[in-house]
Amino acid sequence: MKTFKTPPIAGAIMMALASTAVSANPDAANVDDAILSVPGLMPSATLEMTDNPGLWFKDPTDGDALVVIKPGQAVHIKMSEETRSQHTITSLLWPVGAKDFPVDQEKPSDASITKGLDKPGLYVFTCKVHPYMFGAVVVDDPDTKGLDIGSELELVTGVKVPADSDIAKKLLRTFFVVTTPSLWRDYREAEWKVNLPDIPLNIKGQTISLSALSMTMPNKLQTPKTPGVGEVWVNTQFEMIEGKKKPGTATRIDAANWKVVNKVKGVKEEMNHPHNMWPDNTYQHIYQTQWFDKRLLTFERASGKVTSNSEVGESPSHVLTRPADDLLYVAINGGEQVVKMTGGAAPSAVKSINVGPNSSPHGHFITDDGKYMVTPNALSSSVSVVDLDSETNTIIPTGGVIPIAVWGTPDGQRAYAANLLGTPPQLLSSLTVIDIPGKKKLSDINLAADYDPVSGKITGEAYGLLPIQTPVSPDGKYVVTANTLSASITIVDVATNKVIKSLTCEPGCHGVHFGMKKGGGYYAYVGSKFANDLVVVDMDKLEVAGRVLLADGKDTSIVAYNGMGGQGILPLPLVEHGYLKETLKLSGKKQLSSDVEGWLKLLTKEQKGI
Amino acid sequence: MLKKICMTSCLMAALLPAWAQAETGNTHLITLKAVKLDSGQLAYQMVSHKIQDDSGSEEDITGRYAKEPSIPGPTIVMTEGDKAEVTLEQGIKDSDKPVSIHVHGVHYKIDSDGTMKMLNQVTDEAAFPGKPYTYKWTAALGTAGTWPYHDHTFGNPKLGSEDKGLYGTLIVNPKSGQIPGLIDGEIKQVNLKDIKREFILWMHETTFWGMEVNNIVNRQVPLWTNPSLGAREGELVRFHVIGLGTAFHTFHLHGHRWIQPGTTHILDTFNVGPIQRESFVIKAGEGVGPGHWHYHCHVLQHMQSGMMGAFMVIGSK
Repeated sequence: MKTFKTPPIAGAIMMALASTAVSANPDAANVDDAILSVPGLMPSATLEMTDNPGLWFKDPTDGDALVVIKPGQAVHIKMSEETRSQHTITSLLWPVGAKDFPVDQEKPSDASITKGLDKPGLYVFTCKVHPYMFGAVVVDDPDTKGLDIGSELELVTGVKVPADSDIAKKLLRTFFVVTTPSLWRDYREAEWKVNLPDIPLNIKGQTISLSALSMTMPNKLQTPKTPGVGEVWVNTQFEMIEGKKKPGTATRIDAANWKVVNKVKGVKEEMNHPHNMWPDNTYQHIYQTQWFDKRLLTFERASGKVTSNSEVGESPSHVLTRPADDLLYVAINGGEQVVKMTGGAAPSAVKSINVGPNSSPHGHFITDDGKYMVTPNALSSSVSVVDLDSETNTIIPTGGVIPIAVWGTPDGQRAYAANLLGTPPQLLSSLTVIDIPGKKKLSDINLAADYDPVSGKITGEAYGLLPIQTPVSPDGKYVVTANTLSASITIVDVATNKVIKSLTCEPGCHGVHFGMKKGGGYYAYVGSKFANDLVVVDMDKLEVAGRVLLADGKDTSIVAYNGMGGQGILPLPLVEHGYLKETLKLSGKKQLSSDVEGWLKLLTKEQKGI
Repeated sequence: MLKKICMTSCLMAALLPAWAQAETGNTHLITLKAVKLDSGQLAYQMVSHKIQDDSGSEEDITGRYAKEPSIPGPTIVMTEGDKAEVTLEQGIKDSDKPVSIHVHGVHYKIDSDGTMKMLNQVTDEAAFPGKPYTYKWTAALGTAGTWPYHDHTFGNPKLGSEDKGLYGTLIVNPKSGQIPGLIDGEIKQVNLKDIKREFILWMHETTFWGMEVNNIVNRQVPLWTNPSLGAREGELVRFHVIGLGTAFHTFHLHGHRWIQPGTTHILDTFNVGPIQRESFVIKAGEGVGPGHWHYHCHVLQHMQSGMMGAFMVIGSK
């Protein structure tokens, strides 16, 4: 033997250490002397981040989003090749007193972490950019009865809640609904059954079965009595289509009869998580962001033909045009900019407008006069107001956690930013009111003022938890907010900035926008991620006028999650007068298609804003 | 006498397969197994490693390896002129999918490429349950260096599952027994036998996955994620740093300098892209003394995610 001069070392390591190989070397009398390195954590469980609806944090051993480890063991959380976007790995909640918590990253990336967990209880992780991606680790002490959830849980906002509180149970049930597609609300079934397995949980020392959180509700679709005008496009972002690896379609509803017309699927382009849409002023093209990707896809409204699919930046979330020049403004949610682009069949980038360090802008707003753009900066607890003529940016710190969407009043004076995780320390759920031209924060609106998070008691209308899209009605009277955790729609009176109404939504209530009601007035259309109906709210009565099915049972290319994943909502014609005005200018000049001309004819003077 | 030697070696040559006759050296008979860990990750595990020298005598060195599978997988150490027959077993629980070893750096014929027929046009060069596959490697002259090996088939015939943990390290030492190093302020030839410890660090996403090959007790120790490496002051230790995945990294070790292999450039940081690798020798604590010398990826975002550890240089007694 040339390379290895020592005799063979056979058998167990201790045997080896006692062999001549070791004793021949005085430096290595025993293992402690020889091996000075200290191993790092060895993962006992893994959560892989993916683009698959529900299974955004996937346990590779059994394919669900929950892993169980023992105290002192470690979990490895990483990106997988099944995601095309960057994420953060961020603690949403954890047992109070857990060592070295929370876990977070400043920016989205391809990071992986290995985290040792000592304290028994429930740890939920999310991504701050895509904050419905949920994965959970239960650190279970094998000596206690039932799976340890803990006694007191801390939320990322600093709020501490008892593990048996209503909000903790809501979060727990929501976790299972979100991460288990078979528990999503399918309106083609007679009932929505959330059947949770009989797994004993240890909550504050008491053993409770997970099945106690089960529930059943009837599914009742309802056709609104008064038709709408035009069509409603809904990004059914989770729908799986044959031939596509990535989820998502755009579902077109005819507001005259509330039926699904068709779905734009983008099979060739792998249209990935289509999240939000906006049209050009002729309504010939629809621009659409792909949120778990890097691209903006443009398709022809009439034919569904894709005309462009180009890279714009990490996790593009929302797209708007500026009324006067029809240029595009695409919020780059995984970055810190809004990309300005030319419009038409094949948009191309003109400029990148930075809206602040580590801002992560999500659902932005442009005033009717095109003067200002307002961005909610999800990762920097701020709202930016950009003067679009000079492209100068003012950052307004708001104290809100994950400000995710913003919309403004028709006069361009006020904006309302939805803070997904509230405004700590006081507000569990909030909207921040912004003075747009004054470029300052005015106040916060408590969306959950009438909800007791411990008992669950609701004593009034203000019941909205985890708010998302929050448009202002075209008459400037109301702010309508989709609340994903409470599955409710809250309506704020702009005159008083108080919640005056709360309506029942769906699990994962997410996207809202206004459309024209036939004969005058408006509807608010609300889409939900984990249900396949579109809620229609009559803005004259502030009541639910109907629930419209987004699934298409006849379309055999839909292989899963039919009609699910409702997020971006685009009703046409647009209700915002600044935009509508530009389209009305083109009417009768052979620049609009006959169906669009037909819709415009149906509008009242008030709807037209004249 | 000469005649006698010739008789022995000529006899040996006749017994050895043709591919093994070209150069003299040891033959490594290795069996590895691909398994699934409790965490759901995949890993290679050493089943058996025997070394035959050119006199035909055999040494079993399996005991040098960790008994359990690890990430990175077992470190295979060869010398220029050696050959290896590496047999892979598919031991992945609940899976009948092919798994392979694709090695970098050393020579092999097309049937040892570790890819599927759709890529290599020859055959599916992968192990199936109950059907191991054997790869033949030649550590020819000029292949000295630190090389990765990894799966190229599991789960995805074009990609494999290196990203899930199926990767390991091959060290081919030069036949000369010496490598250049910056020692005591001078570039000099270091005798391999004087290297006490080999620290292997794989940079994957924002995590270091480590292993120590301890040459004092001839033992491999899996060090898992972002480990603390330990050495005594003045010991010669060798680092092997390899990239994996999609990210680009900058490896930096505090307090120490080394030479870029093949040059006289002095470094304390270098770039590591996917499957790119570097190795270097240092004298632990040279000029700076004992201490917890930080090592980390110098990409700011990776640092923020905890991609770091300590190189603990312990003062001499």
